[in-house]
Amino acid sequence: MSGPGPGFEYIQELQGRAIPRASDGSRTPGWDQPADLTKDPAEIPDPAVIHVAPALRDEIEAAMARYPDRRSAALPALKAAQRFHGWCSPQAILEAACVMRVTPGYLTAVATFYDMFELEPKGRHSVYVCTNISCSLRGADALYEEIAAAAGEDGEINVRHFECLGACDIAPMVSVDNVYYGPLGKGDAKRLVEDLRAGREPLPELRLALRRTAASELPAEHEQ
Amino acid sequence: MTQALLFKDIDEPNLADIAVYERRGGYEQLRKVLSMSQDAVLSELDASGLRGRGGAGFPAGRKASFLPKGDMDKYLVCNADESEPGTFKDRELMQKCPHALIEGIVIAARAGGINRAFIYIRGEYEEQAQILDRAIAQAYDAGYLGERILGSDVSVSLVLHRGAGAYICGEETGLLDSLEGKRGNPRLKPPFPAIEGLYGGPTLINNVETLMTMPQILRMGGNKYAELGVSGSSGTKIVSVSGHVQRPGNYEIELGIPSREIIYGLAGGPPPGRSVKLWFPGGSSAPVLTAEDLDVPYDFDSLAKAGSMLGSGAIIVVDDSTPVLDVALKTARFYRHESCGKCTPCREGTNWTVKMLERIEAGEATPMDLDIMASVQEQIIGNCLCVLGDAMAMPIGSMIAKFRGEFEKHMQRAQLTGASA
Amino acid sequence: MPRPQPSEITFSIDGREVKAPEDMMLADAAKLGDIEIPVFCYEPKLGPPVGACRMCLVEIEGMPKLQTACSTAVKDGMVVHTRSERARVAQEAVVEFLLINHPLDCPVCDKGGECPLQDITFGWGGGKSRFIEPKRHFRKPLELSPLIAIDRERCILCYRCVRYSQEIPEDYQLVLLERGAESFVGTFDGHPYVAPFSGNIVELCPVGALTSRPYRFRARPWEIEDAGSICTLCPAQCNTRLTVRDERVLRVLDRNHPEVDDGWLCDKGRFAYQAMHVDERITSPMIRDGGVLREVGWDRALAEAVGALRRGGSATAALAGGGATNEEGLLLGRLLREVLGSSHLDSRDGEAVSLPHWRALANPKLAARVSDLEFAHAVLVLDCEPLDDMPILDLRLRKGARRNGVKLLIATERASALDSRADAAIRFAPGRGAELAWALAAALRGEPVDAAAQAAGIATDDLHALADALRDAGREIVILYGERVLDGDPGALLALADALGLAEQDGGGLLGVPAVANGRGLREAGVTPNAGPGLGLPALAGGHGAREIARRLASGELTALYLLQVDPVLHYSDAELWERALARATTVVAHASFLTPGLREHATVIFPAETSPEKEGTITHPDGRVQRLRVAAAHAGDVRAEWRVLAEIIERLGGAPTPPTARALSEALFEDVPFYGGLTLDGLAGRGLRWPELQVSNTLSDAYEEAEPKLRKPLRAAKGKLLVGTYRSIWAAPEVAASPALAFLTPRQRVELAAADAEALELRHDEAVVISDGEREVRARVVLRAAAPAGTAFLERELEEDGANVLRGPHVTIRTVASVEAEAAALIAAEEARAAAETETLAQAEAEQVT
Repeated sequence: MSGPGPGFEYIQELQGRAIPRASDGSRTPGWDQPADLTKDPAEIPDPAVIHVAPALRDEIEAAMARYPDRRSAALPALKAAQRFHGWCSPQAILEAACVMRVTPGYLTAVATFYDMFELEPKGRHSVYVCTNISCSLRGADALYEEIAAAAGEDGEINVRHFECLGACDIAPMVSVDNVYYGPLGKGDAKRLVEDLRAGREPLPELRLALRRTAASELPAEHEQ
Repeated sequence: MTQALLFKDIDEPNLADIAVYERRGGYEQLRKVLSMSQDAVLSELDASGLRGRGGAGFPAGRKASFLPKGDMDKYLVCNADESEPGTFKDRELMQKCPHALIEGIVIAARAGGINRAFIYIRGEYEEQAQILDRAIAQAYDAGYLGERILGSDVSVSLVLHRGAGAYICGEETGLLDSLEGKRGNPRLKPPFPAIEGLYGGPTLINNVETLMTMPQILRMGGNKYAELGVSGSSGTKIVSVSGHVQRPGNYEIELGIPSREIIYGLAGGPPPGRSVKLWFPGGSSAPVLTAEDLDVPYDFDSLAKAGSMLGSGAIIVVDDSTPVLDVALKTARFYRHESCGKCTPCREGTNWTVKMLERIEAGEATPMDLDIMASVQEQIIGNCLCVLGDAMAMPIGSMIAKFRGEFEKHMQRAQLTGASA
Repeated sequence: MPRPQPSEITFSIDGREVKAPEDMMLADAAKLGDIEIPVFCYEPKLGPPVGACRMCLVEIEGMPKLQTACSTAVKDGMVVHTRSERARVAQEAVVEFLLINHPLDCPVCDKGGECPLQDITFGWGGGKSRFIEPKRHFRKPLELSPLIAIDRERCILCYRCVRYSQEIPEDYQLVLLERGAESFVGTFDGHPYVAPFSGNIVELCPVGALTSRPYRFRARPWEIEDAGSICTLCPAQCNTRLTVRDERVLRVLDRNHPEVDDGWLCDKGRFAYQAMHVDERITSPMIRDGGVLREVGWDRALAEAVGALRRGGSATAALAGGGATNEEGLLLGRLLREVLGSSHLDSRDGEAVSLPHWRALANPKLAARVSDLEFAHAVLVLDCEPLDDMPILDLRLRKGARRNGVKLLIATERASALDSRADAAIRFAPGRGAELAWALAAALRGEPVDAAAQAAGIATDDLHALADALRDAGREIVILYGERVLDGDPGALLALADALGLAEQDGGGLLGVPAVANGRGLREAGVTPNAGPGLGLPALAGGHGAREIARRLASGELTALYLLQVDPVLHYSDAELWERALARATTVVAHASFLTPGLREHATVIFPAETSPEKEGTITHPDGRVQRLRVAAAHAGDVRAEWRVLAEIIERLGGAPTPPTARALSEALFEDVPFYGGLTLDGLAGRGLRWPELQVSNTLSDAYEEAEPKLRKPLRAAKGKLLVGTYRSIWAAPEVAASPALAFLTPRQRVELAAADAEALELRHDEAVVISDGEREVRARVVLRAAAPAGTAFLERELEEDGANVLRGPHVTIRTVASVEAEAAALIAAEEARAAAETETLAQAEAEQVT
């Protein structure tokens, strides 16, 4: 046999570049990195050492007080920390952990379980495009591409695929900064991005909250 | 064809406001249960024959009666983590009529002898959460929630808890873990939540629609309510119809009407020139049915007999313009994304299924792979910790069984195009 | 919490009738019928089953779905099929699922040959593979910590390691990230998983995903031998299983003893075996020659020692510590008392405790077992930090509190790792454990508490709250105390035990944590100034305790010192006094493995000490369990059995002959110590025996009479100064520093301060400071802790550099290194200026003279 076999090339390839972990990748940094041995173990952050902005501390403590067990405040605490820091940065998690008296590891495990936490720096606006079955039957995949293309490299607009957002009646739809809009038609993708850039409410006439039930719009013969 | 109980005043302007809701007769049933005994409330619920509207369809009265008596800490959790693809009824109900949910919660709490209640609402429903926040504050101010409600000896506290994006938190024990501030991994059952649930205490978990039906049952009387619908599926149901229909949306129907009437009559059927190829009768977790099944009565038992389930009452219609492979891939990818990863068959089985479907799509598969895929679905069903694995395996299995020919044709075509490319 | 007493039931499994305790999990009960049900995630040590891996699916008649055997409690009449068609299909399916992403790199995997996944695949797998898609890939192996490598490709996501982190040490550092098929085991932001018990995850991992970095690629399972041993690095005396290859220890595993370690090990116990095989270890005798230590032959060293000891005669003192065995203690006592005519020997720091106190404390009625910590109604942790002093108990206490609702009450001077688990925690002034015990006894008896509370430095409200918690907890109470609480007034602890009626309880009592591994055994073998073997009257009266020995050595009254595995300069308080004592002594004979500071400077003869795998003999656990050490590995270098060295010295000095074998010597010990009567080495076997449970006549009666409390004066605050408290970290051990894998954990001095104190002293976190008691000083870095009690600075003892043992207290001042240096610079500058001025004056004067 001459030269290394295909196995060798494969190993070379692995060592040479990032390894795709699964077809849709990973949001959590660190899966292919060794622990940083210069760091101390991540124990519960000591309040004597970690500074937390009073407003964030108050919000988390208020959440802790709402439940019989303070740990129940993990999601509200992470949300607050994400809002304060723009994303669930290590510092944001550290601060939330400090107030909650849990380890940052605990909160990282929680944060990475849920889709709405951002584990990497993200833009100010979140645009979730539902691409689950009902929406995709009505063109959501193309819509996602259009919005992503319109937003381009704009770091301020965070366009994400999202699983069923529970608004199949207005498919295809988007959730922009937690407000639902739909159904989006031709040209709406571009307009959405323009509105966001201009600081306007996007697609105001498509806002879900303005709609009546479908039942109320039925043709007369279906009424009771 | 429609029968409006929950939807009776649904489009009334400002129904989310307590004053409007009260004017429409709201909170009268709450007043009523305050003076009723726990057993009396339970027996009304029992008599109504109401089955849970979240997906499993368990009789709601019986579920409440499983809670042990005694003065330990007991909890009521309203499951508002509506995430089953195709389902959007709770969203509309909470958005437009939040007080009916609060009223239902107090009734259910009364039935279970519970004084701490939580609503677990999915994080994406931020608009609805804000509406509920306001409604809960109003209800507290009006004395419908809190210590000694309206001067009675009934106390119920209510906390709204927002999720953060995880389908598995709609599974009741995953929801409990999530509410306790953990990753939303489902728990081993037994112990069942009614015995050992939230914070280790007995816990009653009900869906939004189930709870909102309770004031109606109290208003009509359980027996009267049971007259609606058909045997084994009493009452009305909000059905979310989506996909290839002309009028997607929520419709309240009396259970037992032919499915065709919902899909064609109410939702207008597929666009002109198209026909129904397959439909999910109860969310994407339900085995698919075909055009042949359109006359199956829309109720729990008939759909089960037809090999599927009523589930969350979400009908997704797929017309003949869409390849079944696209539907299968969409569905499988969703469950892979949402599998919590705790148990092996679900974590690995969903992942494997997606990879096989991708191979079929890429023209790299043979009919033998369909057999493997079908057998993998069988290996998942019944062997998982919770039902999420089954929720993928059942529809995928049904698609392979019912559309095998189409899968095989696709393979051949993809192999040809793949080869020519 | 009374221990569960399950009744026996009969169930049928694969056609066999099997008897098992009711409610035992089926996976365990099956083993009673010799039937194995495969499991991955199930590990009873980790708490309730989670049913995650689904490997143990079996068919149970009357149940429609297959059930997980790990989570199904057996009931009478249950009929189980583990190999029915349905069960078999499901088991094969799970194996197939697990293997689809598992790399088949068994040939290069450390786990190969001892891998549950291999075994289960062989036993329960379908034997075929249908998965042709690319597997999940991770870069591998990666460092999870300096001790552990992680291979995420091999991980089958059984959750054992993360459950361990959450449920056992409760450190919540190792977690599962992401979800579904994307899940992976990791930590916060790339921090290493470094924790006192982290190594247990390597043993828990059912595949080769977590491997020990020191053991990686060192041996294959078929090249190694297993040897049962006991770790003697701390009083926990955890039972271990050594992996030995070519007479060298390559790995330490747990040997689950439910009454000792519960199947866990700390990282010191797991990895410090490396210290056996390092160059720094002393492996041949040495003598000081011309002021320098040099290696010599045994004969020369023995002759040197014998000559010196003969000269020392009755002016000889001896100290024992470390992992010295009962037999070595017995011989040391004979050497001193019978051969040299001295009774000055001790095995603990501080002043001597009187014989009546020792006897009362050893009363079997007061003795608690380790497992009582798990089932008592309450445990009072008094003046010790289990995590540092007897680490494995930290896990046991957490287990009791978490699983059985044991009330955990803490009374310590420094914030405890268990505080977050505790129902109540109070802090007393440094060194005032005895006063706290008096105060608590008084509170429980309804007597006035003010004087004792003041002397202990605690608020009476806190005291009463603790007393109420103890009183309300229930009948069975264990007091887990550090032996330091006996300093001051040993009667205090006995008074507290009396106030709680501990002698009348079965599930409660006292459990003392000595400072050294075999502290209890050495005492019982007679290494204590005022008692002979078995806490009997000593052959010679008038012996002095360690502190007095130091004073008398320093003053020249005593001239020779025999050190059996202890260096008082490193290990004992008032290091400066000991430094003077050793400097003054004409003879210092030591058995040691490492050249610790006192020996490096002052030892005249050093014999290499054995490590526990090399030793033969017995040791006594703090709860009275006599455990047997057997030779598991060859002696390194020229090391000889230490008991033989002692026997040889005795013989050369003309003492009575020592039994010729280790076995005969142990028998002599059992004869000499009345309450070890009836023990035999064979009876001890691999698990040991607790002598307080043996029905032997013992002379330890209830004749103790309580005396009036002896309270020290309250410690007053002093302006600009802080009280000083000291503690010994789990990592403060020469074996840790010497083990390459553990060396990174060697502690460096740090001073723990409350934020308010730091602010008042204008000190910042991590700042370099100098701590001084007026005469002696140590350097440290500031560590701010919210839980640190205000007014006290805490420093580490027993460090080779800057150990707090040198400080005398009670008060210290703390200044930044920068300010001290600036001051020194200013002094030098002033001195230089003065000198310059002087020179100038002189020059002027000279000039004037000349003119």
